[in-house]
Amino acid sequence: MSTPVLELTDVSKCYGNFTAVNKINISIPQGSVYGFLGPNGAGKTTTIRMILDILRPDEGQIQVLGANSAMKVRDRIGYLPEEKGLYKKMKVWAIIAYFATLKGMSRRQAKDKAYTLLEKYGLHDFANASVESLSKGMGQKVQVLSSIAHDPELVILDEPFSGLDPVNQEVLEQLIRDLAANGQTVIFSTHVMQHAERLCERLLLITQGSKVFDGTVDEARAIIPRRIVLETRDDINPIRSLAGVLSVQEHPVDDDTRLPGTRQWELYVKEQTDPQLILQHCFESGVSLSRFDFTQASLHDVFVHLVGQDAREHNFR
Amino acid sequence: MRVTLLIAWREYMENVKTKGFWIGVLLVPIVFFLIFHVSSRLATATPTRYYLLIDQSGDYAAAVETAIRREHQRRVMQDFMRYLQENRRNADAVSFRAEPASQLNQLLDSYDNDEVAALDQWLSSGGLDYALTMAQPYLRDDAPDFSEPRPQFVAATLPPEVDPDADPQTVAGQLRPYLNGERRINVDGDSASLFALILIPEDVDQDIVRPATIQGLMTPDEGPRGVQYWAGNLTDTRLSGAIQNSINSAIRQQEYASQGIDIAAVRNVQRTRLPLSRLDPGKEAGEEAVSLADTFRQWAPMGFVYLIFISLMQSVQYLLSNTIEEKSNRIIEVLLASVTPGELMMGKLLGIGITGITTILAWIGSFFIFIRLYQTVETAMIVQVLDVLLSSDLIPYFVFYYLCCYALYAGIFLAIGSLCNTLKEAQSLMMPLMAVLVVPILTMSFIAQDPNGTLARVMSWIPLFTPFTMMNRAAAQPPMVDVVGTTIVLVLTTAAVLWLSGRVFRQGILRSGQPPRIIELWRMLRRSAS
Repeated sequence: MSTPVLELTDVSKCYGNFTAVNKINISIPQGSVYGFLGPNGAGKTTTIRMILDILRPDEGQIQVLGANSAMKVRDRIGYLPEEKGLYKKMKVWAIIAYFATLKGMSRRQAKDKAYTLLEKYGLHDFANASVESLSKGMGQKVQVLSSIAHDPELVILDEPFSGLDPVNQEVLEQLIRDLAANGQTVIFSTHVMQHAERLCERLLLITQGSKVFDGTVDEARAIIPRRIVLETRDDINPIRSLAGVLSVQEHPVDDDTRLPGTRQWELYVKEQTDPQLILQHCFESGVSLSRFDFTQASLHDVFVHLVGQDAREHNFR
Repeated sequence: MRVTLLIAWREYMENVKTKGFWIGVLLVPIVFFLIFHVSSRLATATPTRYYLLIDQSGDYAAAVETAIRREHQRRVMQDFMRYLQENRRNADAVSFRAEPASQLNQLLDSYDNDEVAALDQWLSSGGLDYALTMAQPYLRDDAPDFSEPRPQFVAATLPPEVDPDADPQTVAGQLRPYLNGERRINVDGDSASLFALILIPEDVDQDIVRPATIQGLMTPDEGPRGVQYWAGNLTDTRLSGAIQNSINSAIRQQEYASQGIDIAAVRNVQRTRLPLSRLDPGKEAGEEAVSLADTFRQWAPMGFVYLIFISLMQSVQYLLSNTIEEKSNRIIEVLLASVTPGELMMGKLLGIGITGITTILAWIGSFFIFIRLYQTVETAMIVQVLDVLLSSDLIPYFVFYYLCCYALYAGIFLAIGSLCNTLKEAQSLMMPLMAVLVVPILTMSFIAQDPNGTLARVMSWIPLFTPFTMMNRAAAQPPMVDVVGTTIVLVLTTAAVLWLSGRVFRQGILRSGQPPRIIELWRMLRRSAS
């Protein structure tokens, strides 16, 4: 593994008595797409602001691109904040070029790059429009482009997908893949697990300022047991006692098309359990099934499993 | 430094693209032009007033009519002199008085020295016709024709139903509908509204007030006394004033005659005068005479104080609105990932500072264009005065105090902007500062009159007032200790304010929610210091 692009060691930040970030350790290798997950108020934005040296940590060390402050390597970092905003009166190309010149590009280079990006991501017709004439989604795309126009080695996107329609979410996903293919490291925070699932090689999950998970997507999925959902009118006791079945929960059936007396069961099974065996047992025991679902745990499940309770309790900071 | 300049450039370019900037740039010259142009034209634009004069005594009508005619001739003469000065061949404001004496110059000279004598001369030599003939060879080829001002007061014809010899009350009663605007009066075939009725009762002489009969005033009120002036318009007093003066003048002439005093001798005595030479002890021997330019130079600093104030007010708007825009639009966070708060603040100060300077240069530029294109006697005088001004030491003072004042206040306003999310929030924080800023404007004329007095000296040492007060005192050679001392205090304070503002800015810029209270502000300053 190459030298980490970003390394946080025991980083903490408090606002008065409130601990926003509590001893977080992260190490992000170069060229990876890194997902930053957590419920509202978990400390994602504070952590990102500390990485960018907009806020100073109370404790701990941050190394960004080999420097101890992002300010020293600011021209090599691109940033899209959670709360998006642009100068309303500026022209679209000019605002992309302006942020690129602030990151060290020459005016000419910046202007050319702005037009190239607008062309590539379908906004060429709006290059000379003023920002205030754009829709919210388009404005957000422009802001994403202005954060990557200077070809940064490290791109940090705070909630980049919020407010985008599904089509533009796909465009943005492609953009992130393009960046990664280009060897650029991308860190993005999101609430939408599907994006993380599709894009990320590694994930960081934090809640209440503390890290609860750091690893690959597969490692995350392995945290919670596999699940089988079945629906039947028969007694499932023969299956309940099978080896490999960890626990069984009953859920109400809210589907009127089912026969009266149908009950839904959720079986948590061991990692190596073969669902075929369970199905076979059902036939052999005479349990007649109206539904049999075997699902791998999604990131959503992992998220809810790991932070669900906290997320409910600390929904608003 | 590079990013500071980039931020400054963006601020500048965005500001000069706003409507507000152009309104600011254009409004001042337009207002200046209107004041100049309209005020000089307003006098001629006053509507003609139609009056009725009924003199039952038969003693004063002639005097009143003469006085009104004479007043009209005075205005004709005045306008003609102006016309002459503006349209003369080689009409150079400096040289026209130095040309060899001609009849024309004589006329101009006597007009300058003694208007009454000039008017007598004007009337006796034949008035406008004579003056036009005489002036013709001296006028520029492209000179426009002289347009004679309209008479201000014109006598109307008495309506046939009114008996001028009836009891004054009856006459007034009959004319009331005309005076109230219910009916219109006939003037040479046209109808017009009657402005005033002057009714001189038959026994008006009984009401003459002499110093010896002053007690007569104390008699119980028995209705109107003396000349009756009926008019609905109470604000335009020119006609009533002219009538009062002419009648009193006629009465005095009668009195002189009755006491055997030579009227011509009295008139001459009344016009006797002794000139007063204003001399400045600070000037070289032989050059002490105080010219108009000197007087202007003394008052000019007030103009500069205004200029600083207006420009500062404009810059404050930009500082606040731009900072609040960046905060409320959340642009600030992207910026802070690219630049330090210090660079951001300095870029803003610089960009908006240059915007302010551009405005001032535009004003000065349009002022110069104005006085070149719009040549009148007054602008010719301004050119002279301006030459004096530009060669004086006021300009360096202005540049220095302008920059210091801007840096000092801009630092404070920028810090305020960084603490607020909306202009409304900013306004409540700005109130105390605006109250402070009003002080130099309120005291401006006192300081100009007594530039080295206690008030001026005390205010000079208060850094928030130093730029305004010292600028105001600049023409009065303030003591060296004041100049040097206040400059040091001002520069140090400005540096300290910018340093502190930088700290508030750094802390405030990412804040959301309500502006902080004083105690929170103090904590913020301490936190950023640690």
